[in-house]
Amino acid sequence: MNDDLDIRLKLFVYQTIAEDGRPPTRNRIAKALQLSLGTIGDSLTRLRGKRLLALAPDSGEIAMAPPFSAVPTPFQVHCEGKTFYANCVWDSYGIAAALHKDVVIETGCGCCGEPARLKVTGGVPEPSNWVAHFAVSARHWWDDITFT
Amino acid sequence: MLLFRSEEHVGRWCKVRGWPKRPLVTLDQLWQLSVAWYSNRLSPASRRPMGDEVKQIFQRLGLTGEFWEV
Repeated sequence: MNDDLDIRLKLFVYQTIAEDGRPPTRNRIAKALQLSLGTIGDSLTRLRGKRLLALAPDSGEIAMAPPFSAVPTPFQVHCEGKTFYANCVWDSYGIAAALHKDVVIETGCGCCGEPARLKVTGGVPEPSNWVAHFAVSARHWWDDITFT
Repeated sequence: MLLFRSEEHVGRWCKVRGWPKRPLVTLDQLWQLSVAWYSNRLSPASRRPMGDEVKQIFQRLGLTGEFWEV
């Protein structure tokens, strides 16, 4: 029962992001799925437990639906006239992988800020000798996912 | 995780912040990681890779060592 609800909610969240570039609010989810805010909150908490979403600690609204960010970040992903925000450089590529579409990523060097433009076309990233650095080891990624 | 112009820039960033330098990931490895993690994210059956699946993904991409243990 909960699994079916969680799948419906998750799909609504991701479909909304794919269309609007941002996740829906709890109120919008409740209205669209015709469910109470309490039921929505419980489902979001379960999805957080499965590490499919991150919630804002104060409001309980969706802060991240990886690879998508609910708020603007230094990782802009342009796709078919829309701009999405990724949580990190991995998630920037992740948006291309999730949408199965061509994207252009605009970001910069974490050290000096030099602008970087990464492209994914036809499921293939444009060659680049830039590198990614994971500051946190794999088993600790979700200890503080906002920092990771 | 951040993007850097070069390994030298990673070193500078770590030094300024007093943060240990971790293994670097090429953008090709990062893309393969993204496909493994997110390519089904918009489908009903989507879920994060777990446990042994994660280990196999890391191993396939040459991401080995203590840093990549889960």
